[in-house]
Amino acid sequence: MQFALPPRRTPIAPPYARSSRFSLQRRKQLKAVAILGLALLTVFFLLSQLFYTSTGTPAVPAGTASVVIVTVLDRAGFSDDYIQKIVKNREDYAKRHGYTNFFANVSDYETALDDAPKSWAVVPAVRHAMASHPYSKYFFHLDAHSLIMNPGKSLESHVLEKSRLESLMQKDVSIVPPDSIIKTFSHLQAEDVDLVITNDEEDMCPGSFILRQGDFAKYFLDFWFDPLYLSYNFAKAETHVLDHIVQWHPTILARLALVPQRIINSYSKDSSGAAVDGVYKDGDFVIRFLGCDTDTKRSCEKELEPYYRLWAGKLKNE
Amino acid sequence: MSLSRSPSPHPAGAGWSSPGLTPGSGASTPHSGFLTPNPLGASGISWAAAKAKSDEVRGYPSFSTRNSGFFSRSRRQLSATLPRFRLGSGSPNGYVDKDEFGRGRQAPAGWRLGLGRTLLRRRRSRLLVVLIFCLLGYLFFGASIIQNYRRSPLGGGRKFVIILESNIEGGVMEWKGAREWAVERNSVWNKNHYAEQWGYEVEVVNMLAKKRYSHEWRESWEKVDLIRETMRKHPDAEWFWWLDLNTWIMEYSYSLQEHLFNRLDEIIYRDINAYNPLNISHPPTDEYLDEVSRSPNGDGDASSVHLLLSQDCGGFNLGSFFIRRSLWSDRLLDSWWDPVMYEQKHMEWEHKEQDALEYLYATQPWVRNQVGFLPQRYINSFPQGACGDENDPTVHYQEDERDFLVNMAGCQFGRDCWGEMYQYREYSNLLNRTWWERMKDKLNGVYERFFPGEEKVEEEEQQIQ
Repeated sequence: MQFALPPRRTPIAPPYARSSRFSLQRRKQLKAVAILGLALLTVFFLLSQLFYTSTGTPAVPAGTASVVIVTVLDRAGFSDDYIQKIVKNREDYAKRHGYTNFFANVSDYETALDDAPKSWAVVPAVRHAMASHPYSKYFFHLDAHSLIMNPGKSLESHVLEKSRLESLMQKDVSIVPPDSIIKTFSHLQAEDVDLVITNDEEDMCPGSFILRQGDFAKYFLDFWFDPLYLSYNFAKAETHVLDHIVQWHPTILARLALVPQRIINSYSKDSSGAAVDGVYKDGDFVIRFLGCDTDTKRSCEKELEPYYRLWAGKLKNE
Repeated sequence: MSLSRSPSPHPAGAGWSSPGLTPGSGASTPHSGFLTPNPLGASGISWAAAKAKSDEVRGYPSFSTRNSGFFSRSRRQLSATLPRFRLGSGSPNGYVDKDEFGRGRQAPAGWRLGLGRTLLRRRRSRLLVVLIFCLLGYLFFGASIIQNYRRSPLGGGRKFVIILESNIEGGVMEWKGAREWAVERNSVWNKNHYAEQWGYEVEVVNMLAKKRYSHEWRESWEKVDLIRETMRKHPDAEWFWWLDLNTWIMEYSYSLQEHLFNRLDEIIYRDINAYNPLNISHPPTDEYLDEVSRSPNGDGDASSVHLLLSQDCGGFNLGSFFIRRSLWSDRLLDSWWDPVMYEQKHMEWEHKEQDALEYLYATQPWVRNQVGFLPQRYINSFPQGACGDENDPTVHYQEDERDFLVNMAGCQFGRDCWGEMYQYREYSNLLNRTWWERMKDKLNGVYERFFPGEEKVEEEEQQIQ
């Protein structure tokens, strides 16, 4: 005799089994405990989330400018009139786009510079700007001997927006012209970029760059400003050191976007050393009078004058 | 062939293909059954039939599994022993139904005395067997189970990698003698033994002299490259512990988590003025720096420490230090060696990468916030003879305080590396005897007191001449 299923035991419950009524109650109790536990867990989770966000990134105070324009002025070496023109030019630009200006004086950093050339003041000045504007995101350093000629362009739309930067970045290009074996990374993404900079015919150009606030900026500026570099007598001081650290230290190169010179760094026709297509053309964002302060035959004030008038005239017409 | 139910029709066999019922249905056999009485082979089972059968076995509704699991068997018993809650659901208005309350416990007396006792007895003996098995399992496999757990992602051991230098200046530059080999063998064993217990990884790196690290190149900077390489090799690890070869982990029972990382904020100091043999001026005072860079304690948050080291009497000591995988560490390792700095300083930097690190710390404010200092004896006790001959409790190994690690720093300059290591190895073994060994030693002591005369020749012979 075969059975499909083994015969069941007698369905009669043993005498010691608890009544169904009791198990119903027990079930209710268990359910209540479960619900209570779940509720407690939820509360803990919510509380932890709440505390996590409250200790997270500090809130940016209202009215913080996203971009700070850093200009290092040498008030001792140039006439007040000339300095005022530069200041006006920057202030107009900042007002249009809601940026903030940070005007630094070379004399403020004399103790840090020691005997090094004055041009080094750029580095502590940008660090100083970051310390005094801790919530701003971008710091645009523009050399004093230059004018913003097309103030309608905001930095975001002109350079910093992700898609724009992606299209501007030059990848796999010799970082220091003409033929450095170190080339910009070809896999660099726009969101990893902390430093936007250009190069001219010979070197990197510290006269105009955009640096994002953060750990990288501190590292980059402090490393650039090391006393052993200051005292090394590089022919072009901070410019050559920049060339050096960019080529020797991949952690800097990995955060650097090289953009065409005329985007943020057009040279006037009197300045030597512009890259191919690096000379100012009408409509460019900025014009720089590179070397007008060091070359004794040139005069910054004279060179600036016609462009300043051009800019002031445009301003009136608007 | 006993089947509990008739087999299902199988599509391949186009009919009832159960071997027991219809041996060789016509559809699947082109031959006549006359010449080959059993065309399906010796066993008489077609593949289709066998498959159907095995399917059946697999899907067989086996004899009720309702009571076979441990939990289902003892669920009722377990729940009966649970504490009981009354959450007011059963008794509105605080009324307690006397009949209902505790009803399950009011079992007939007969059960309690008769049936229950045998049941209990049977269960108790089962429980005893299970307990014995558990004990045996623990005795034989307990250690390896714990080690495997610590090595697993849950245990947290994977977060740590020990980098041990070896083969210093080896190769053709310097032949290693028996003592050098003994130092190396023992030191590697020591780190492996420690790491195995806690589930850490050990990476023994080769410091073989290479041209690209020789003078005028980048002497002694292989350390930096080796750390980078190890970081690439262990992508899961967080902390990397560099150890010189001449070190001995004295206490195997200290885990890095408990000894250091779970209480970093209590034991580290960020303000170097607490112990400052190099007289580095701290904090930086330049006005252009941000607040964190100018504060003596950085941001004061222990989780922002990425380099953990100790100072000895001469400044930073890189014989035993921790570095954490991070962008900051990448940057430090990258900036540690620079040709322009090296060119100007290599005559001064006697301790090479150690001096370079001190230099970076002193001159570049971005470094300081991520550096934490441990009092030396947490990770780097010195033997007497290094940093002064008299016993200095801030520097030297203290026997009664069970220091974690001894670094025989500088033993290669006029001291005896192997002698010191041997001495500390034996001392560590003595301190970490099990109770069984302690008892044996005590008995030995008693024995020797009664039967003196046997010299301790063996021990001396063990020391390599």
